[in-house]
Amino acid sequence: MAYDVKAVKRQWEGYETPRQWGRYPVEHEPIHRHCHMLEDENPRFLEEGHCPPVMVDYFASLGPYPPADYDIFPVIRAIPTPGDRLINLNQEFEWFRPVKVGDRLGASHKVVAIHQRGTRLDPLSVWIRTETSIVNQRDELVARRTNQILVHRTPEEIAAGTSRA
Amino acid sequence: MTAGLCWSQVRAGEELKGFSLELTMTRMVAQVSGTQDFYPVHHDPEFARQGGHRDIFANTAFLRGCLCRIVTDWMGADGFLRALSFQMRRPNFLGETIAVRGRVRKTIAPDRVDLELWIENGGEVTVPATATVILPAS
Repeated sequence: MAYDVKAVKRQWEGYETPRQWGRYPVEHEPIHRHCHMLEDENPRFLEEGHCPPVMVDYFASLGPYPPADYDIFPVIRAIPTPGDRLINLNQEFEWFRPVKVGDRLGASHKVVAIHQRGTRLDPLSVWIRTETSIVNQRDELVARRTNQILVHRTPEEIAAGTSRA
Repeated sequence: MTAGLCWSQVRAGEELKGFSLELTMTRMVAQVSGTQDFYPVHHDPEFARQGGHRDIFANTAFLRGCLCRIVTDWMGADGFLRALSFQMRRPNFLGETIAVRGRVRKTIAPDRVDLELWIENGGEVTVPATATVILPAS
C-alpha cells in the first residue's frame, strides 16, 4: 500500500509531548566539553558558569542514554515514514532568558508540520517540522527552537522498492 | 572576546572575526562527545555510507555551536544572543575544513544588531545563517 502522508498528517500534526525535565542540571563539565570541541576560550562559559545559548536543548534533554530518548528522536521515530534514516536540515532558535550553571531545564516538543517531497537521497523523503519549548525551574520560557528533519530510506531500500510505512 | 561592545559602536558591513576548524577524526570524536549526539551517521562511516552519504559528517549541534561561538566572541559579555537561524545545505564531511564567517547586516535602534553568518567549506557556503543580538545602547 502506498504511503498515506495525509493520514500521517491527520494523526501527528499538532501532537505535543508532555514536558520532561532534563536528566541533569546545567553543569560545568558538559559546557567545557562543548567549548573544547569548538576551541572556544570564552571565559563566560569556561569559568563563569554561563550556559552557551545553543546548549539549552542539551540540558533539557533526557539524553544521551538511552539513545531513543535523545531530544526529539522518540517523537520522530514514532511517526510512520517510508525510511528511518535521519538528516537535519535547518533550525531556528529564539532565546528569552540567560541560563547558568545550576539551573534546571525542561522541554516539550510539538509536531508542527509533516510533508512528503522527494530529495536526491530518496524520492519518498518525508520532512518533519517540530517546535520545542524550553523552560527553566521557575517555569519561565528560556528558548524556543524550530527544527526541520528529513527522514529517508537507504539506497538499498530504494533499489528494492521497500517502504516501512 | 570583545569587551564591553555597545550598539553605538557597531556599523553595518563590519566583519566579525572568523575562525577555521579542520574536521579531523579527532574533531569528529570531540563533536560526538561535546554534543552527546550519538546518531551513527556522525561517527560510523559504514552506517553513513549505507544511508547514501560518502562519509560521516558534522552534526547540527556542532555547526550551530560554531555559529554561536563567532557571535558570542564578537558581542562580548554584555550582549544577548536573541535569535539564530541556519540551514544545512550540504554535509560537512570528515577530512574537510570549515571556515566560520560573519558580518553585521544592519543595526536597529536602540539596541538590536542583525548579523549574517555562514560556514564555508571548499569555497562553498554549506551553512548560511542569520542571528540577532541585543547590545547595551551605549
